Amino acid sequence: MNRTLIYLAMAGIAVVLQTVLLPLVLPGYYKPDLLLILVIYLGLHEESLRGGLMAYLLGWCYDGIAGIFPGLNGFVLLGIFLAVRGVVTRVNTESSALLLLLVLAGTVLQTVVLAFALDFFSQASRVWPQMLWQLPVQLLMNFICAFVLLRLTVWLQRTLLPRRKLPGLRKLDSRYES
Amino acid sequence: MWEWWRKNRPLLLGGILLLVALLWYSVNLRQQDETNFLESVVLRLTGPVQAGLDRAIGGVADAWGRYLYLVDTAEDNRQLIEENRTLRAVLTQSDEVRLENQRLRLLLDFKEAQEIDTLPARVIAEDASSWFRTVMIDKGSEQGVTEGMPVVVAEGVVGRVVRSSPRFARVLLITDASSAIASLLQDNRARGVCRGQGDLLVFDFVLRQEDVSVGDRVVTSGMGGVFPKGLVVGHVKSVDRQEFGLFQTIAVTPSVDFSHLEEVLVLLRSPQ
Repeated sequence: MNRTLIYLAMAGIAVVLQTVLLPLVLPGYYKPDLLLILVIYLGLHEESLRGGLMAYLLGWCYDGIAGIFPGLNGFVLLGIFLAVRGVVTRVNTESSALLLLLVLAGTVLQTVVLAFALDFFSQASRVWPQMLWQLPVQLLMNFICAFVLLRLTVWLQRTLLPRRKLPGLRKLDSRYES
Repeated sequence: MWEWWRKNRPLLLGGILLLVALLWYSVNLRQQDETNFLESVVLRLTGPVQAGLDRAIGGVADAWGRYLYLVDTAEDNRQLIEENRTLRAVLTQSDEVRLENQRLRLLLDFKEAQEIDTLPARVIAEDASSWFRTVMIDKGSEQGVTEGMPVVVAEGVVGRVVRSSPRFARVLLITDASSAIASLLQDNRARGVCRGQGDLLVFDFVLRQEDVSVGDRVVTSGMGGVFPKGLVVGHVKSVDRQEFGLFQTIAVTPSVDFSHLEEVLVLLRSPQ
């Protein structure tokens, strides 16, 4: 229950950052997708049912502040979560570099699934050329953001709660703790 | 069979979950013009935080600009005095035009076709995702804002309200891929549909034989039932007339600068 609340609080902070603060400093409509990073983290550290439901719920909340299609982000984030769960047993989840790599792969997957869901199901005009055009910038933004978040989270943990382990951060690479 | 099920259970369950999510999304597409319960809750929860933060940031920026960062103030002041002098001259001229216009209107017994109540609102947040173009405003159903209402600024059309909670609402910008406006070219009255394409618009379904030039003004036709007739949508940026085919491809630059959208007007009564 505590972990669920913490994830929801993190999602809340991500929403405020993405809708109010980041648009002030970033050019155009580009902004890093912090909820995507959170869902990839869920995929690495939470078991399938609980994490899957959480990813779907986060997606539905995301729909309240992004786009106009109810259930679209729920479907996309659930898909990304399941994809991460699918590879998690085959890779070393102790490595933080893996998170960065998964963020890149997750961004590509998100773009593909969004384009598929919008072009095949909705009445929106063809979106994939526009999404393809935006993809490189989005990849760069998500990567930089995930890197900064990793460093910041470990620093915050060390500074504020040196004797406690924050939920979901027990498997971080020790390279960031020196 | 049982062994096969046990072996492939995670994959099958994942697939079923994903299929259910896709079906649920597909079913919900029919209700995309209404605000559902969860969206209303999210708007109610995030709205006050976003509005507060927006106000706080505005306050800090204001204080910084007014009291701390005064490097450019002297130069700005000089430019403004000069601009003021020029504008006074223009104003005198436009007063003449206004009076003439008034006289002509009286002569022709001109009546305003339709009076539409407007509600000013402040843009407090952008869309959370890079893929969509929506903004949140600080007025909602308590002030009479409901789904489908047009939103404009002095320069032209901004979009329409797609979600509404008691104190906040979300507006779909005309540049979003899901947006389509029945429009026409002001000069030759050629009709078509303006669709969002990120930063630009595409003016679809204009017949090949129609004479369209770069710079032509595109306005709303009033046919869609959402926007009143005659609001400026944008200007023609480029025209691609292929040798074959029924229609030409027209790119339109929106007349509104969406990157500097701060205050908007909600048209409270739709024309139809």
